[in-house]
Amino acid sequence: MKIALSALAGATALAISLVAGPAMAQDGGIVVYNAQHESLTNAWVEGFTKETGINVTVRHGGDSDFSNQIVAEGAASPADVFLTENSPAMVLVESAGLFAPVDADTLAQIPKEYQPASGKWVGIAARSTVFAYNKTKLTTEQLPKSLLELADPSWKGRWAASPSGADFQAIVSALLQLKGEASTADWLKAMKENFTAYKGNSTVMKAVNAGEIEGGVIYHYYYYGDQAKTGENSKNIGLHYFKNQDPGAFVSVSGGGVLASSKHQKEARAFLKWVTGKGGQDVLKTGNSFEYAVGKGADSNPALVPLADLQAPKVDATTLNSKKVTDLMTAAGLL
Amino acid sequence: MAAGLWTRRRLSWISLAAILVSLFSLLPLAFIIWIAVQTGWESVSALVFRPRVGELLANTLLLVVLAVPICIVLSVALAWLTERSSLPGARLWAWLSVAPLAIPAFVHSYAWITLVPGLHGLWAGVLVSVVAYFPFLYLPVAAALRRLDPALEDAAAAVGLGPWRVFRRVVLPQLRLAICGGSLLVGLHLLAEYGLYVFIRFDTFTTAIVDQFQSTFNGPAANMLAAVLVTCCFVLLGIEVLVRGEERYARVGSGAARQQQRTRLGRATIPCLLLPVVTALLALGVPFVTISRWLVAGGADVWRLDEIGLALGQTLFLALAGALLATIAAMPMAWISIRAPGPLQRLLEGCNYIVGSLPGVVVALALVTITVRIALPLYQTLFTILVAYALMFLPRALISLRASIAQAPVELERAAASLGRSPLKALWSTTIRLSAPGAAAGMALVALGIMNELTATQMLAPNGTRTLAMAFWAHSGEIDYASAAPYALIMVAMSLPLTWLLYVQSKRMAGR
Amino acid sequence: MSFLELTDVHKHYGPVAALAGVDLSVASGSRTAIVGPSGCGKTTLLRLIAGFEAPDQGRIVLDGEVLANGGAAVPAYRRGIGVVAQDGALFPHLSIAANIGFGMRHHEDRRTERIVELAYIVGLDKAILKRRPHELSGGQQQRVALARAMAMKPRLMLLDEPFSALDTGLRASMRKAVAELLETAGITTILVTHDQAEALSFASKVAVMRDGKFSQVGTPRELYLKPKDRMVAEFLGDAIILPAKIADGFANSPLGRIAVDSTERRDVARIMLRPEQVLLKRTSREGMSGTPDMLFGEVTESEFAGSMCTIAVRLLNSPDPPDAAAIGNTPLILRKPGMDTPMVGEIVRLTVSGKAHVFA
Repeated sequence: MKIALSALAGATALAISLVAGPAMAQDGGIVVYNAQHESLTNAWVEGFTKETGINVTVRHGGDSDFSNQIVAEGAASPADVFLTENSPAMVLVESAGLFAPVDADTLAQIPKEYQPASGKWVGIAARSTVFAYNKTKLTTEQLPKSLLELADPSWKGRWAASPSGADFQAIVSALLQLKGEASTADWLKAMKENFTAYKGNSTVMKAVNAGEIEGGVIYHYYYYGDQAKTGENSKNIGLHYFKNQDPGAFVSVSGGGVLASSKHQKEARAFLKWVTGKGGQDVLKTGNSFEYAVGKGADSNPALVPLADLQAPKVDATTLNSKKVTDLMTAAGLL
Repeated sequence: MAAGLWTRRRLSWISLAAILVSLFSLLPLAFIIWIAVQTGWESVSALVFRPRVGELLANTLLLVVLAVPICIVLSVALAWLTERSSLPGARLWAWLSVAPLAIPAFVHSYAWITLVPGLHGLWAGVLVSVVAYFPFLYLPVAAALRRLDPALEDAAAAVGLGPWRVFRRVVLPQLRLAICGGSLLVGLHLLAEYGLYVFIRFDTFTTAIVDQFQSTFNGPAANMLAAVLVTCCFVLLGIEVLVRGEERYARVGSGAARQQQRTRLGRATIPCLLLPVVTALLALGVPFVTISRWLVAGGADVWRLDEIGLALGQTLFLALAGALLATIAAMPMAWISIRAPGPLQRLLEGCNYIVGSLPGVVVALALVTITVRIALPLYQTLFTILVAYALMFLPRALISLRASIAQAPVELERAAASLGRSPLKALWSTTIRLSAPGAAAGMALVALGIMNELTATQMLAPNGTRTLAMAFWAHSGEIDYASAAPYALIMVAMSLPLTWLLYVQSKRMAGR
Repeated sequence: MSFLELTDVHKHYGPVAALAGVDLSVASGSRTAIVGPSGCGKTTLLRLIAGFEAPDQGRIVLDGEVLANGGAAVPAYRRGIGVVAQDGALFPHLSIAANIGFGMRHHEDRRTERIVELAYIVGLDKAILKRRPHELSGGQQQRVALARAMAMKPRLMLLDEPFSALDTGLRASMRKAVAELLETAGITTILVTHDQAEALSFASKVAVMRDGKFSQVGTPRELYLKPKDRMVAEFLGDAIILPAKIADGFANSPLGRIAVDSTERRDVARIMLRPEQVLLKRTSREGMSGTPDMLFGEVTESEFAGSMCTIAVRLLNSPDPPDAAAIGNTPLILRKPGMDTPMVGEIVRLTVSGKAHVFA
């Protein structure tokens, strides 16, 4: 009965939107282009709507397709808020001049290191690059000391990644900023020879866990997320943090911004403020997203290696160049 | 006099509508060309003539070259066993040979990856593709086998040909049309499929286009990959036309064909039974076992009824609305192809089929580009996604409609007119009434396609849309296979009746 | 010396007996016709001889070689028996030349020449060899089918209603042409048909079949004039069947005293006359008087159909009918040449020519 009612509701809502045009559907609230994990954003939206009564329509997608899409849509974008997993997508939208400045009190909730100097967007969460390896196949001595080592022929056929995902592309963008275009291009060329491509970081981890491959470059929280559930896909996994300011120790900042074209500036700003505030950051600590909280004084989930211990390299989020990265990866035959 | 004028005006009005639909359907193609011109030759050649494209081309070609012949052999063998031999339970096996169509290709892949986690690469692609798509060949081949006149086989035996040579020289040549058509369908699906190959990590043009789309939205790299993919589709269409030739396979002579005799298998019965049994196990057993396994593992938690109900409702709505639009769009074309055939009609119909053969990802990419650049208000609206469905599935609606209009001879309409009905009423009380069942069948087939569509839906659907396929994909993308299982189950359950319809329709078309 | 010998052949389809004990002996070089109403089993018999199916019981021997014995059977493709089916069964995917050459080996000497030669023999123009079956008329298709069957130099030719799909005029000429052609080639032939005229004119021996059995086998003349029973008589043509008292080679019947073909019989039996044996002569009511031995009738109906005219004659003075009720009120139906047929109401005198046949 319940399923039938929901089905009816779903069909009716769509039917109404057909008749009344797309604007109608948004009129109760704001549209969020969400590239973050669905469950995390759904938790944020739930908390926000409960507190403010503002409705939120979420469109799920990825960093790169949304950022490019927003640029293509320009001033007519139906989106009010854009949330990403990584910074390069924010940089792309910012450089197209499509973000409205973030409110000062929102910016004040986040330390300077997790926001661009321009103040056009703000960090909402963070994640660390790791080398997830199969503990039955690799000992700690055999682990690579640096991300760059994976280009070595000795690693041929032994590691995996998800090059079509924005996560890995963000890691490459950090590499590009830290080591320059020539070294990055070479590294990507070697990678093409050495690595095995999977679609999605979860899939990489699952393959490593199953022993299909020895290790993979992913973000840390996939492991914790799986451990919190059944652990079925991570029981053989060990996490190796590169540290030492290595490009592989890159901590990627997830961003949030309000679009200048938004017709619901007040509501959109309220949403971003909520996400970066106590309520939103608490979701990171207590929920099962296992991403790092970035708010001032906000604690991350105690199960994680503290953010401060990661010895991440200093990367300027505002100059991460996603276009150059995809061009280089296309040239290397990874895309 | 007045009636004559009226008729003339109606015809030209219908032709105009058909021309409009056809021109509209050429938009995706036009835009790919336009983008190529805009990008400039230098960039185009840099994006097209690179090792990665070569890799994808090799992958795609190998896939087609391996999977299609295997599908042909499997389908012909199954069709012969179920239609022309004394195989026990032939009717059951015939239905089980069609049933895999009820399972979306990506669900097949999901099932296999659950069973054999390390499965990947070309041979995995071939295996799952064959299992998911062979019914597209089985259906026409079985129908053609049923239609064959047994007198021809007798005649060949009488002039001294043994059973194998009769099969090779008489039966097989007459199956050529069915094999060509079915192979084309399978080939085009192989080119267009996305989800299936993502699960088993096999890169084709379609997966690469989606990767590029996700990385750069509608950038030139994605569009140029699409151009190469379109070229591949045209090559397939061309090969089919060449191989099919100008053959005629209709029965010569008058009178009804004799009832066919079934070949006694005798001691070969058990080994022959193995083929349909193994096929059914691979194509139906594997998905059902794995879906059940995940449902059991997930327990009651995975039945998040709000979420599932919403997805179900949206899917049903999109499927019905899309099917309606496709059928309406197909009507003028179906009408003139029966009532006013000619060179114009053949040209227009050709256009529709070409667009219908384009992968969903290409149509979607073109529509994204078109709406973003030219008609932004239409971008990400229900209208656009429905248009995409209509373009993609127009041929399905067209075929069913055309067959049903052909069953309503124009004489009936004239008879109704002579009995005093006004032309419109005559049309309503004869042709429309008679062709309604065919139109409904066509709509069902379009709905089936839409229900299992993933790529175009993801790229074009309005904000907040979440179809069953999208939900399945999101869950399985996070390797939450248990949560994906209810969606897989519902998609299969909804597709089964439609697949049954397809099976019954193919039997009826063969005159049994 | 019989060339083809069938002994007690049975064939069942489920509970239905298609053939219930058929015996047939065919002489070498002869032409045999099997005739019967549809569903009588004649096509099944042909299919058993061709080898498309195996009999349940019985033997089929061709030229000393056992083709079938009980369930065991030599498959069709090893029999060397030519078959021409009802509508030709030409291969739609092959040209006419390829159809004719279908049974020949690909590297056979003079393959092309032989195809042209066969086409010529069956009366086909060389120009159509390149065409497809659907471009040919029905008669041409049948000729191609015949040429195709002849190309393999068959020991026996089976024709399964090959002329039934053709127009009436074409049918007769085709029949004659085929008969001559097979005669010249010296091929033993069996024709299956439901058309009695076709059977009688085509074959030197006719077998009438009914309910899976042969009712009677014999020469066309024998069967027509001396049918074994009423069913055979009526199947092969119109028949006038009368009760009669028979003695000394004559029958006393409603048509008077008629010579019969049996001198031994002396009993009450039914006799058969073919309508063409009844001759009519115009007269008038006045002419009837004073001629007690003569038989008169009145034309009660007349149906003009061009060359022929069907008339009904009611007997006016039937002598001593043993079973008066059977004939007294039933007029004789006679078919006469359309020219100068008596009109309704005219009085005619009836005479019988030839002998009547006495049924057993």
